[in-house]
Amino acid sequence: MATLSEKVLTEAEKDSRTEAEETGNTEHVHPADASAPVLSVRDVRISDQAAGHEIVHGVSFTLTPGKAVGIVGESGSGKTLTCRAALGILPAHFEVTGGSIELDGNDISALTPARWTALRGATISAVFQDPASYLNPSIRVGAQIAEVVRVKKGLKRREAHRRAIELLRAVHLRDPELVYGQYTYELSGGMLQRVLIAAAIAADPRILIADEATTALDVTVQAEILDLLADLRERTGLALVLVSHDLAVVAQLCDEVLVMRQGEVVEQGPTREVLHHPRHEYTRLLIAEHEQYGLDKFLAVEAAKAAAAVEEDA
Amino acid sequence: MVRRVLSLTSGRIALVILTVIALLAVLGPLIAPDNPLATSSDTLADASGAHWLGTDYLGRDVLSRLLDGSRVSVLGSLEVALTALGVGAIPGILSVYFGRVFEWITLRLTDTLVALPFLLFAVAVVALLGNGITQAMLVTGVLVSPLFYRVARAATLAVARSPYVEAALISGASIGWVVRRHVWVKVLPPIAVALAQTIGVGLVIVSSLTFLGIGVQPPAPTWGGLLASDLGYLTQKPWAPLVPALLIMVTVWACNILADAIRDVSGEAGRALVNSRKARANRLADTDSDAHTDAAHVHAGGA
Amino acid sequence: MSTDPSQKAAGPVLEVRDLEVHYGPRRRRRRALHGVSLSVAPGETVGIIGETGSGKSTLARAALGLVRASAGSIVIGGEDVSAYGHRSWRALRRRGVIQYVFQDPLRSLDPDLTIEASLAEPLLIQGVSRQEAATRVRAFLSRVRLSDDLLDRLPGELSGGQRQRVAVARALVTEPRLVILDEPVSALDSANRVQILQILKELRADGVALVFISHDLGSVAGVADRIAVLYRGELVEAGTARDVISEPRHPYTRLLVRSAPTLHSAPADRAEREALRALLHA
Repeated sequence: MATLSEKVLTEAEKDSRTEAEETGNTEHVHPADASAPVLSVRDVRISDQAAGHEIVHGVSFTLTPGKAVGIVGESGSGKTLTCRAALGILPAHFEVTGGSIELDGNDISALTPARWTALRGATISAVFQDPASYLNPSIRVGAQIAEVVRVKKGLKRREAHRRAIELLRAVHLRDPELVYGQYTYELSGGMLQRVLIAAAIAADPRILIADEATTALDVTVQAEILDLLADLRERTGLALVLVSHDLAVVAQLCDEVLVMRQGEVVEQGPTREVLHHPRHEYTRLLIAEHEQYGLDKFLAVEAAKAAAAVEEDA
Repeated sequence: MVRRVLSLTSGRIALVILTVIALLAVLGPLIAPDNPLATSSDTLADASGAHWLGTDYLGRDVLSRLLDGSRVSVLGSLEVALTALGVGAIPGILSVYFGRVFEWITLRLTDTLVALPFLLFAVAVVALLGNGITQAMLVTGVLVSPLFYRVARAATLAVARSPYVEAALISGASIGWVVRRHVWVKVLPPIAVALAQTIGVGLVIVSSLTFLGIGVQPPAPTWGGLLASDLGYLTQKPWAPLVPALLIMVTVWACNILADAIRDVSGEAGRALVNSRKARANRLADTDSDAHTDAAHVHAGGA
Repeated sequence: MSTDPSQKAAGPVLEVRDLEVHYGPRRRRRRALHGVSLSVAPGETVGIIGETGSGKSTLARAALGLVRASAGSIVIGGEDVSAYGHRSWRALRRRGVIQYVFQDPLRSLDPDLTIEASLAEPLLIQGVSRQEAATRVRAFLSRVRLSDDLLDRLPGELSGGQRQRVAVARALVTEPRLVILDEPVSALDSANRVQILQILKELRADGVALVFISHDLGSVAGVADRIAVLYRGELVEAGTARDVISEPRHPYTRLLVRSAPTLHSAPADRAEREALRALLHA
């Protein structure tokens, strides 16, 4: 990663900070405890009880409001299981067999089903890969968001309708009133994913897990969704867990990166650190994929040029 | 295919039974101890050394009638099934490939066949072609063919637009090649199930037509005909219908388990059977990708 | 890889001129492609980039004769195929000049055929004897880094990466001069992606022309010599990979470059993307 210019990154960081200051101060939902972790995962181990062996061998990270953690790994690396454990929706006969998960101060192993119901949506929420399969095709999408608002926030029908439209606007859908009355088949994949994000943030959760949420989308649409998540994070202090098989997707948005392979965290650290000084061979492969075969092959040169230009200006 | 069917216990049982039935059909008339049409004064006799299964209401030997009737019964039901297969399944498969005109015409024809009253059609055809078991079975076969047409067409449609068929076409394959190589294997199991059912139905229809004097003429014995006549003398010989009924049941049952066995060893299901152990091992690795359920749960908080 | 070296020098393997494709019944005809021109030289790799519905798959299907063009011409290996009927297409395909790799490696292999049967199929269609087909399939496996013991397995027993390599191998056993690949690496993770791209690079060295279709500039950047960008059925930009990526002219291309996930993304890109989206929607 010697080609990656430190200068560019620091510049970029400055940019993002000013941007955050400009846009972020308007509506912080949970300003009181900005530094207390909303999710802390400590040495979590997950086992398949039927087969009798451990699949995830110890994952740890903490998430404070407005922070984003990325988990990268191939299919079967245990990244999805880790997320599902945090959501309390592990598949049948999978169990957390070690470590602890704390959700907004609650140890999840002690949660009753009723407490879980209260926490899901209101504290932790998630979006997944195939948006169409999570929406009922015979109900207008707006009504499905309004339902979440009515159940979780106890709003009346009319207020729920208004709130649902607000949410659709918040996820940058161009004509929220029109989208409210549409069915799933009338919307594109990117729009459906926005609708799902709207439903996921309907009850003002503090954590949003995006598990391969952009994998099936066109790159331009993927960038739109990632921008939307970055925007939500800045505006509302939403903490993000971003799961992807692509290191670049995660690097674009996250402060911290975990690289998982076969249930093991092989590399973990601040994004910049991981990109610059990858220690594990697998991380190097992930980076090499972009440098040899991706746009980085051309852009690295461009970025270096730009950095040189900036230096000259200064 | 045959080897894989034989690897299943149910497949072996079915094939053994069907072999016995086939032998009955071939040898039955030859090994019948008495003349199946010869009447005697000894009517409705119980089983004895002379008449192993007793005699019927005209004093004819039941065992001889059963054996002699096997050939007509089995051949009849086979005729029904094969006619239905030819008239139904083949156009069903081709309807997907032979263009819109062929598709439209065959679809309307099957609709018409479904709508035709069975008896009326049967009587009309017999009046046209003359009365006989072959004509009657052809009529029946044609009338059940819409089932085969629909089953074959549905199965073909599912395969026809799959990428591997397109890949074959891109390599220059003809429609015949695609059907033989890719379509047939997927269409066979549902057709086999339909075929087994139809053979059973055929056995019953042979007898019901005999009632009406269509097809087999009364003195000639069939399994169904025996059953029908025995049913009239329940008070005198309550156990008499049991033997022909059992024969019909066992044949139909064997056909059905054979159909099930074929379905189990072919296509996706066959692979599942062969790989069930492997799949179990692989499931561990695949859990990462099945994050499909429960999302609504997360969003609505269990609403 | 071409058997006849004189053919190689004979100009482009694929030449598409002013291609026009329409879909749907007469009254609700929808234009899928408009005035698309493109040429692919032997041994050249061309990337075709476009979003869902941009017409990139239609272009591939037209070049394979699976979709009829309403205007324009398609020339494959010097043969004008624009007016070809079913029979002529089949004859052309049977010579194995042009091949195709599908996006979804699971559905593009017949689940009931062993890997060997799938791989031998294009050869058998050509009329090669069973024995010879088996030998050629075996000889070919190492090129796609697959071992012999996969041959009697079914596609369901292979991993996604292995399946895609089988799909690539099936397209290559007939030694085609042109292979069109539709999102060949989109469904794969990093390790398998790199492996497939490596195999494709080797093919190019053998003189096979590749057309690489994708929605992601990033996935073709490393292998393509030239890149063409399709937007709403029209070719809006074409040039060498370096030019298209470093100096994109059309706003959509610029959006593509800014949207592709890279390790060098900067927050400033976000504002630029926003501006480009607004521009494209106007």
